[in-house]
Amino acid sequence: MSAATEAQPGRAGPRLSASIKRAALPWLILAVVYALCVIASADFLTWHTIRLQLIQAAFIGLVAIGETLAILIGHIDLSIPWTITLTGMFATNLYAAHPHEWVAFGAAIGIGVAVGLVNMLGVYVLRVNSLIWTLSINLMLQGITLIYTNAAAPTTVVPPAAKFLALGMVGDIPMAAVLWAVCAIIVIGALRFTPFGRAVYALGSNELVALLSGVRLARTYAAVFITSGVMAALVGLLLSGYSSQAYLGMGDDYLLPPVAAVVIGGSRLAGGEGGYGGSIAGAMTVILLEAMLITLNVSQGEREIVFGAILLALAFLFLGRRRR
Amino acid sequence: MRRFRERLGDHIGPLCCAIGVVAVVIVYAVYQPAVLSAFGIASLANASVTLALAGLGQTVVLMTGALDLSIGSEISLVNCFAATFMGGSTTSIVLVVVASLLIGLAVGAINGLVVAYGRVAPLIATFCTSFVYAGISLTLRPQPGGSIPDSFANLLTGNWGLLPFSALLLLLAVLVIWLPVFRSRLGRFILAYGDNPESAFASGIPVRKVGMAAYMLAGLFAAIAGLFLAAETTSGDPSIGNVYTLNSLAAAVLGGVALTGGRGGMLGPILGAILLSIILNVLSIVGISAFWQDFIEGGILMLVLGLAGIRLLRAQSWMTLLGRSQS
Repeated sequence: MSAATEAQPGRAGPRLSASIKRAALPWLILAVVYALCVIASADFLTWHTIRLQLIQAAFIGLVAIGETLAILIGHIDLSIPWTITLTGMFATNLYAAHPHEWVAFGAAIGIGVAVGLVNMLGVYVLRVNSLIWTLSINLMLQGITLIYTNAAAPTTVVPPAAKFLALGMVGDIPMAAVLWAVCAIIVIGALRFTPFGRAVYALGSNELVALLSGVRLARTYAAVFITSGVMAALVGLLLSGYSSQAYLGMGDDYLLPPVAAVVIGGSRLAGGEGGYGGSIAGAMTVILLEAMLITLNVSQGEREIVFGAILLALAFLFLGRRRR
Repeated sequence: MRRFRERLGDHIGPLCCAIGVVAVVIVYAVYQPAVLSAFGIASLANASVTLALAGLGQTVVLMTGALDLSIGSEISLVNCFAATFMGGSTTSIVLVVVASLLIGLAVGAINGLVVAYGRVAPLIATFCTSFVYAGISLTLRPQPGGSIPDSFANLLTGNWGLLPFSALLLLLAVLVIWLPVFRSRLGRFILAYGDNPESAFASGIPVRKVGMAAYMLAGLFAAIAGLFLAAETTSGDPSIGNVYTLNSLAAAVLGGVALTGGRGGMLGPILGAILLSIILNVLSIVGISAFWQDFIEGGILMLVLGLAGIRLLRAQSWMTLLGRSQS
């Protein structure tokens, strides 16, 4: 990931050095956090540990694809945790009843698209603030999941393909990381080289100007939120493959970390600036931070304080300033 | 006629909520006649006072055109603090109550500092601080527990004939905090700032101090709500406040408070909170399983937010809507 991937369309020239700085910073943060990890425990030098962290980072990274797009257009998607759980429960149950791979993956994509469309309905059509709307959708999905499962025992029948994608190995590299790399290349390419990418940046910079310049707003909103929903649903399936079961609350750890990954990755919370390249470093940083805090026996409460404070500090320092 | 319609438009939120409350209470009374007894009224009041207090806090911030997503965590924090440190003696109870209120003001001040002086977008800022506060309550009290003396619990949740003490607490909060603030210059500043931040700044209103004061008031209301929850449950729970973040927002919006700032009162959110709490209460009586609770809460929220969105669409042109910066 060189600085080039972070350069914004139409913004080269005088701001090039600033954008190089912005692109390099996430990787610098990652290097520092990794060094701290190694100091905390020499285990972090072994490929075995790195591989485990890489799988975890891939899950966050895949979810962060949707989150990056949502933040780039100046919004946010907080409906991810229960999209993950609902998909995990529903798709595995469906697979248990109809043991075909495509049934599970089809159900996951269906849920992802549906969640994305509902998010887009609230944020674009009704113009409700995305943070509030997607949090409400998250609550709604939690309700749907609870009604659907009716407190039933978790299923342990998981599609083999999901298991392979989460735990499989290609040579010495985890399959999840390969999947992540492929998706990352597609997203970075789409953001840099396609009309969709330009629409995303235009929308995030100034919605009114984007509308007046002929950007198809509805289409862009739909694409962004559906991508986010589908990625969350996919990760729900992968997570159930990873732990060989789907259970209530499996997505609970995916509320703050994806946002943290994107913000550490240098995307501006107000939208219009940033890219997915940084989010890759951000996802790894988040996972390493969590692993380090666990190694140091820091309690869950203190971990939450650390994450909240880091995110706040980043938002304060250089990323989420209000333009007044 | 036109003036009548305009005035009706101003009060449509509280009015609808009042009608809703009456309707829901009638449904409730049909299924469960005991609800109209002294005990029934007290339990209904106890169920809605926390949300009403949270709604009032949220409303103060909403009126400045900002938003507080940390209200739930603030409630949990005060709740855990009170349940952990409140001993049995009168001195310790008074000390802990005073300290709890100060904690509320302090966490509100942190929000205010970050938003008004740090200029971080309110949504993101309070979203982040909510995790910090939740982390502190989780560190303070990893498992639900702690103890609250009976004297304190009875003082807040008991009833005197048909009059529940919790309703008195709410009345007291309104009389001692809300009315003085909104009768004073600060109240007018809050509304002016929410209505139009630029012109408020241009006319010499100390906008940063006003923003900060709004968050501190929200923290104060959250602290009272946390103390009341402690008395109601006689224990501390680090996740007890979570539901109040979104529900306080729903109560305020139901009560006619504009998400865009500059408009709102105290009657709307209180009635909205009572309506929401009774609806959730009725569901279990009518025989809908607890699994439906989140679904229905989420559904009400979506409905309320959607309706507010439609109202906004009708009130303003597409162009001005898009031109306004969103966070």
